[in-house]
Amino acid sequence: MTFAVTNKFGAPMDVYLADPSDGAVYQELEGIGAGATLMTTVTLGNGRYRFECFPADESAVMGPTVTIGAASGISGTTPAVRPVTQADLIPVAKAYQAWVAGRLPVLRSQVGVLASDVAAGDTAKAKADWLTAHLTYETLGAAYDAFGDLDSAINAAPASDVPAAQDTNLTGFHKIEALLWSGAPAPASQAAVAGLLHAVDQLITQFATVDIDPNIIALRAHEIVENAIQFELNGTTDAGSHSNLATIGANLVGANETLNLLSALLVNRYPKLSSAKAALTAAQRLVTGFDHAGTWTPLDELTRAQRETLDAQLENLVELLAPIAAICDERVASQ
Amino acid sequence: MSGVPFGRRGFLSGVLGAGAGALGATALTGATAHADVSGAAATPSAFPFHGPHQQGILTPAQRSGLVAAFDATTSSRAELAELFQTITARARALTAGGAPGDLGISGPPADNGVLGPGVPADGLTVTLSVGASLFDARFGLAAQRPAKLTTMPDFPNDALRRELCDGDLLLQICAHNPDTAVHALREISRATRGGMQPRWRQSGFVSPPRPAGTPRNLMGFKDGTANPDTSDGADMAKLVWTRGGDGEPAWTTGGSYHVVRLIRMLVEFWDRVNLREQENMIGRRKDSGAPNTGSSEFDAPDFVHDPSGESIPTNAHIRLANPRTAQTDSSRLLRRPYNYDNGVDPNGQLDMGLVFIAFNQDLERQFAAVQKRLVDEPLVDYISPYGGGYFFALPGVQDPRDWFGRGLLA
Repeated sequence: MTFAVTNKFGAPMDVYLADPSDGAVYQELEGIGAGATLMTTVTLGNGRYRFECFPADESAVMGPTVTIGAASGISGTTPAVRPVTQADLIPVAKAYQAWVAGRLPVLRSQVGVLASDVAAGDTAKAKADWLTAHLTYETLGAAYDAFGDLDSAINAAPASDVPAAQDTNLTGFHKIEALLWSGAPAPASQAAVAGLLHAVDQLITQFATVDIDPNIIALRAHEIVENAIQFELNGTTDAGSHSNLATIGANLVGANETLNLLSALLVNRYPKLSSAKAALTAAQRLVTGFDHAGTWTPLDELTRAQRETLDAQLENLVELLAPIAAICDERVASQ
Repeated sequence: MSGVPFGRRGFLSGVLGAGAGALGATALTGATAHADVSGAAATPSAFPFHGPHQQGILTPAQRSGLVAAFDATTSSRAELAELFQTITARARALTAGGAPGDLGISGPPADNGVLGPGVPADGLTVTLSVGASLFDARFGLAAQRPAKLTTMPDFPNDALRRELCDGDLLLQICAHNPDTAVHALREISRATRGGMQPRWRQSGFVSPPRPAGTPRNLMGFKDGTANPDTSDGADMAKLVWTRGGDGEPAWTTGGSYHVVRLIRMLVEFWDRVNLREQENMIGRRKDSGAPNTGSSEFDAPDFVHDPSGESIPTNAHIRLANPRTAQTDSSRLLRRPYNYDNGVDPNGQLDMGLVFIAFNQDLERQFAAVQKRLVDEPLVDYISPYGGGYFFALPGVQDPRDWFGRGLLA
C-alpha cells in the first residue's frame, strides 16, 4: 500500500512505519521538509503497525496502532528491521579503533625494517618488506577517513599521466614501490622511505586523539570491497610490484574485521549474514591461493576462467555486504 | 523518443488478455513481417513470456536491443540450474512489468530505478541462449549438446577478436526504449553476480522506416526485406525451430540456433563508393530497396531473366545469400539485426556497423551455408566481422513453474 505522509511541523521530520511491540521499522522517510508530502510504498501482512514521528529537536510523537488481521496469501511483504542506534554503534567503533591502534605500531615497525633494507642497499629484501608493510596498511580500510590527509601521504595511488618513479607529487608506499621495482639501486628510495616513516609516526600521534565516526564501520563493510574492485582488481594502483591480488587479500582481512565487529548487531537483523560471511571466507580462500610463498600471481597472468571466478566471487560478496550499511544506518529507537 | 504511451498499454493488454494469449503476439508479428517498427499503434507494451518458444525470436524487432555474452562461474550443475532459475524469475518479472517489492530499510533499493517507480514492461523481451562451451566437461552436459552447436569458426573474410566472441550464455534483451533494455541487463546481472560474468556485449538500435518499409542499416540500404514471414507457421517450423529427434537431443524442441555477428562497416570508405557500384554490390536500389531487377521494395528479385547478372550481378549480396532456387530454399534464415554505433577507432574512423542476429533450425544447412556462398563477395571490402558467436536459444518457458533450460538440466 502507498501512504502519503505530510509533515505539519515547522521543521524537518523523520517518520518511521514501525511495529509498536518491538520498534522494528518497515519503512522510513528521512528529513521530510516542513509542509512537504512524500509518498511511500510498503507491502504489509498481518500485524500491528504505527507511524512514529521524530521532528528535529522535539520529542517523538507516536501515531495510533493499526491492526491488519485479514491479509492472507500476501507474498513479498516488506521486512521489518529493528533500528540500530548510536548506542549500538559506538562500542563497535571503539572496538575497531582499538584494533587499528594495535595495528599501527606493527606498521611502524615494518616500515622501520624497510628503512634498514634500503639503507643497506638490499633491494630484494626491501621489496619483500615493502609488501609486508603495505599489506598491513591495506587491512585498515575502515579507518582511512579518520586518517585524513595522512592517508594520501602514505598510500596515494599513482597518477595516470606521470611515471610514478618520476612523480614529484607522489609520496608513500606507491612511490617507494615504483622506485624499488624500476631497477634503481635501493638507496634511491631512502628519502621516500624516510617520508613514509615520518607520516606513520604522525599517524600514530594523530590517531590517538581522533574518534572514528560510529556510522563509518557499517558503511565501509562493503566499501572496502567496492574499492578493492574499483582500484585493485583492475590494477590501477600498481606501480610495479604487481601485488594487487595481495592487496585485495589484505582488504578482505579489513572487511572481515568490520563484519566480525558488526555481527552481534546483524545476527537478528540480517537474514543473509551467514551467506555474507561464507562469501567472504570463500573470497579470502580464493585470493590467498594466488600467494606462492610471498610471490603473488600478477593480474595479467590470471587465466580468463580465474579472472571470471575472482570477479564473480568479489561481486557476489559485495552484493551481500551492501545491505549492512542500510540496516546499520543510525536510527532512533522508540523502544 | 517518447516511447509507447502508457494509455495504450491498458488497451493492448486488454486485447491480449481476451483469450488471445501468445497467439495475439503471433498475429501481430505476422502483420509486421515487413517490420513497421515505427507503427506505435501496432506495438504492444508487453510480450508474453510463457510459451513453447522464447520471445525475442519471432517478436518484431523492438527499437532497442542488446546482446550480452556471459561465462558461467558456477561450480556445479545444481548451481547452474539455480542460475537459470534466477534468470527465469527475473526475466519473467521484468517482461511483465510492475513495481518491484519494497525492501524498506533492510537493504539498498530492490530496483535500480532507471525506469522510475512503476517499472513498465515497455516491450521488453529477454531471450536466453547457450554456447558450445557450456557443454564442456564442467557440468557434465556434453551428451546434451545441440548437435550443430560448435564454437563459431573464423570464416574467410573474418577478423575475429576472440575476446569479443563466444561465451557460455547469451542474453538478448530488446525493448521499445534503450533504458528499458539497460535496466533489465542491470537487474539480471545484479541477481546473478556469483553465477555468471560478462564476457562481451553490444547495444544496438533499429532505425525507423526511411521513409517507409524495412528499416535501413548504416550503409543506407534497407536490410531484411527478404526475411521469411514470421506468421507462416509452416515456414517457421522448417526454418527456425529445432526439433528433438532428427539427430538433436529431445530437450531442444522449440529452440533455435542463434547466430550473432558483430560486423563493422567501413562507412567512410563506403560513402566514397559510386551509387551504381553500391547497388551492384548489394543487388538492390538504395532509395527504394527494390531489387535491381524490380520497381519496388517487395518485388521478388528476378534472377531467371537476368542469368548473366546484367541487373543484379551474380556476386551481388542478395543473389549469393538467397539465390531463390529449390536447392537453396531450405538455407533461408530469420534475420533480426540491430545497427550499432560505438565511437571511434585509433585512426579516428567511426566504429559503427551491424549486430547481425539470425535464428535458424540448422546452423550448417542455413547460416554456415549462406556464409560460404558469401565468401569473397565484393561487399567484404567494406565490412569486417570481428565478434559474436554461435548460440542455441533455449526452448520457451512453458508456464509459471517452468524455467529456462529445465529440459537440459533437470
